[in-house]
Amino acid sequence: MNFKKILLAVDSSDNAMRAVEYTGHIVSGNPGFEVQLLCIERLPHRDLYADDDKWEMGCEEMRACLKDFLARARQRLRELGVDDAAVSEVYVSSCHSPFTDSTSECSLGTSVALEILDTLKTGGFGTVVVGRRGLSKAEEFLFGSVSNKIVHSAKDCTIWVVS
Amino acid sequence: MESNLRDLVQYYLPTFPLRRVRRLVDDTTDFTSITYGDVIHLGGRHYMVLRDEAERRFGIEDFKFWVKRCKCLETGESAILKLVFHEEFTQQIGSMSIRSFRSQNKEARILNLVRGDMRFMQGTAERDEAGNLVRILDVIRGKRFDTVIDNLPGDHRHYYENDLYRMMELLIAGCEAIDFLHRHYEQHGDVRRDHLWMETGTGKVRWIDFDYAYETRANPFALDLFGLGNSLLFTVGKQIYTPQTFAHMESGRNVRDTDFSPVIKNRLVNLRRLFPYIPRELNNVLMHFSQGAEIHYDSVEELLGDLRPCLELLPKQTERRAS
Repeated sequence: MNFKKILLAVDSSDNAMRAVEYTGHIVSGNPGFEVQLLCIERLPHRDLYADDDKWEMGCEEMRACLKDFLARARQRLRELGVDDAAVSEVYVSSCHSPFTDSTSECSLGTSVALEILDTLKTGGFGTVVVGRRGLSKAEEFLFGSVSNKIVHSAKDCTIWVVS
Repeated sequence: MESNLRDLVQYYLPTFPLRRVRRLVDDTTDFTSITYGDVIHLGGRHYMVLRDEAERRFGIEDFKFWVKRCKCLETGESAILKLVFHEEFTQQIGSMSIRSFRSQNKEARILNLVRGDMRFMQGTAERDEAGNLVRILDVIRGKRFDTVIDNLPGDHRHYYENDLYRMMELLIAGCEAIDFLHRHYEQHGDVRRDHLWMETGTGKVRWIDFDYAYETRANPFALDLFGLGNSLLFTVGKQIYTPQTFAHMESGRNVRDTDFSPVIKNRLVNLRRLFPYIPRELNNVLMHFSQGAEIHYDSVEELLGDLRPCLELLPKQTERRAS
């Protein structure tokens, strides 16, 4: 296990930015680290929109927001002293996105946590970093907690959960 | 027009009392005014309205004024017409709000997705003259799945030894159907045990009512999973257990706070406390829905991965007879 190969899973939340900050502080100035920013796209609810055109616009806005976050996260890591060459970004589009190319790898969207775990395993990462929302038990139960799922399910790796 | 309508009704539905024929409805916007004797015109067909549909909840008939039981004049088939009813509300759970709403577009889309898949209700959608997307649903002849279980004879032990295997097979099929929706990025939206029906004749279970949608961004299918957990709990227990219902049971003394649901606080999830013959593996699946759980299911696929092997741990009726 190469603990210096870090998978940093983000969305566009403040918690995710805290995870970026923490990772940047730990990694900067230390040679041999690699950081991959991973963002799994979650679409806005289709039925919240009056028609498919408006939903597509919502999806476009969501995608722009997430990609902007990835750019800001990368910039922040750079500012904290992480070598830009050691940082990579992966954006996994939703398979159900109106813009998804049918040949590209995409997210089924049934479980973000399981998709992060899959990337962790196939990518040979030794460390995974996630932010935590700080949900109550009932909220975790009803809405799911990515960090909780990763803490309980990840194997052969180090897990950093940033609150 | 009125005489034409009466002629039409008399031709196709000669047993219908002509004096009760009201009017031809092309615009269903004002659904509360549509009643017995009205004929709804949709997609080139005519539907005689017979009554409003009702759901029986908590012992009370809850009339759904936007859902009409009809007979199609041209085909003679019974049909349920779901008219457009805009309803939106916020469910408050803990500190989180869940925006919930009815969506005729969602239901129409799912009807299209599940066409020919008899694990779901079947139907089509047509727009009326005002553009309202009306769903025309086939009538399912059968009973609510929970009513079927509730009507089974005997105490829990008898149910466990004779019927649970068969009921679990059906519930697993129901879970697989919801998994199918999720894989197509669709929520059922209102997974409740009274929305799963057992069809007379085939003995198979079918989901009904897909028009609810909710917004939970972190896990878009979380409430569906919660509903499946409740259905599983009822299926394994033959009923829902609360402190009142197990107060008379000696084994109820062993129940702890962590044995209950984190959401519905008086709902017992750890059924092995009451019925120690329930296989530990099956009870472990239930415990994912308990206050004491460290980890919850993230997807129906995960739930099924644990649930399917439990089936073989349950007594089959044929085995019991053989022994």
